[in-house]
Amino acid sequence: MVELNEVFETHTMIRNENLDVRTITMGISLLECCDSDLDVLCSNIYDKITESAKDLVRVGDEIGLDFGIPVINKRISVTPISLVGSSACRTSSDFSMIAETLEKAASKVGVNFIGGYSALVQKGMTAAEQMLIRSIPSALSRTEHVCSSVSLASTKTGIDMDAVKLMGTVIKETAEATKERDSIGCAKLVVFCNPSDDNPFMAGAFHGVTETDTVINVGVSGPGVVKRAISKVKGENFEVLCETIKKTSFKVTRVGQLVAKEASERLGVPFGIVDLSLAPTPAVGDSIADIIQEMGIEYVGAPGTTAALAILNDQVKKGGVMASSYVGGLSGAFIPVSEDRSMAYAAEIGALTLEKLEAMTCVCSVGLDMVPIPGDTSADTISGIIADEMAIGMVNQKTTAVRVIPVVGKKVGDTAEFGGLLGSSPIMPVSIYGCKEFIDRGGRIPAPIHSFKN
Amino acid sequence: MKRVIVTLAGKDKVGIIATVCNYFAENDINILDIKQTTVQEYINMMMIVDLEKCTKQFSEIVEGLNAVGRKVGCIMSAQHEEIFDMMHRV
Repeated sequence: MVELNEVFETHTMIRNENLDVRTITMGISLLECCDSDLDVLCSNIYDKITESAKDLVRVGDEIGLDFGIPVINKRISVTPISLVGSSACRTSSDFSMIAETLEKAASKVGVNFIGGYSALVQKGMTAAEQMLIRSIPSALSRTEHVCSSVSLASTKTGIDMDAVKLMGTVIKETAEATKERDSIGCAKLVVFCNPSDDNPFMAGAFHGVTETDTVINVGVSGPGVVKRAISKVKGENFEVLCETIKKTSFKVTRVGQLVAKEASERLGVPFGIVDLSLAPTPAVGDSIADIIQEMGIEYVGAPGTTAALAILNDQVKKGGVMASSYVGGLSGAFIPVSEDRSMAYAAEIGALTLEKLEAMTCVCSVGLDMVPIPGDTSADTISGIIADEMAIGMVNQKTTAVRVIPVVGKKVGDTAEFGGLLGSSPIMPVSIYGCKEFIDRGGRIPAPIHSFKN
Repeated sequence: MKRVIVTLAGKDKVGIIATVCNYFAENDINILDIKQTTVQEYINMMMIVDLEKCTKQFSEIVEGLNAVGRKVGCIMSAQHEEIFDMMHRV
């Protein structure tokens, strides 16, 4: 029988500590939509998405009401469009038409975002993949809900440096194409090393080809709950600290498991995974930086930050794994600068630098996320930043990503405003020293030795 | 059985539980369990109720309870029981 204190504990988490289900993401395979005629392809895609996801938003809201837990986002991820469009698209603008179709379908079913305008080019690019990548700036500037991701590297294949070089340019062009809104297009574009096929979080969600036809993946959240729990064990040793995070993470993840199972049942779609990631928002108290600071670090970025983040990431996994029957996606702690109020503040006062963020990405999920950088940063430098991050992921056999925003017309000292869940952040300084000759070499960086285990 | 946990929190006064119970009676909702504590002049109450015979949509019940809450000056909520079982039981 449920006890009074348990009921009120759950209520406190939801009302005062921002516990919520961050996203129910429906993965939809578009492989069956393939056709050599672009119009037929677009119509197939529209029909498949609007039919599969027609009840997604309604069911998400109903579950939220039934269990008294906010379900913030309802989203869709689709098969990487570079594969779906390869037989129909002859030019980059052909691919942009698919982006517009995705936009129309997303608006029709009422989801917040649709991910999968993607290409997986970690070992090389086909002509179609190159066209899709080149179409990203126009696709993202002409759509609101479409998110794009490009996989540039993996532990098994190494790093495709030609694609890394191209993405430096594409990110600059995307920034330019959306310059009137602080280059917000780049907030919907992420590059990956070792991406996961079942990630429910944007901008990086896509429905991998190893997945079934349609699937429900759920991302939970609750940095505020973890922070509050840690505040109760102030001054205690690491054993107590770790146990506290683990137990809290268990409770948070159980909610995700419940919502995922319920959504799967009500929609008649198989349950895929629960993603354990702690995802912040710009709301007060919904911050990863606050957790790190609650552990005893003065400001995020100070010495000790990487260790604190490593503890958080590992304990969240340990608690969460037992709470859910299937765990997947990125599962860790996100450190998006603009989306986390305290992270942005630490950047503003100089406690947090790009270099420290890079170190932090070695121990957390994903990587350099939502980092606004000066608009005059060169494409080569952006490629260099990407290459560094890809190398970390490749060597450490983990997912890493880069979502930097070279905000056109802004420089260090200015602030970028993206609005809503994307937040705001001061422009972070980038090294003034270049890497053009390195990036210009072209070709591939070979896979590291530990990929030959099998 | 459709078990739902209803909670109420606010400043205590005469007639709070009576008003809530009347609402349940009017809507064919059976009360299975009531637990409450009062600390100084504040009341925390939890009821487990069965909505099996209730013909209204769950959203209408939630709305109705919010109205009852406003009437007695307390905050009320209603949630399916599973969320508490999942969170607090292994």
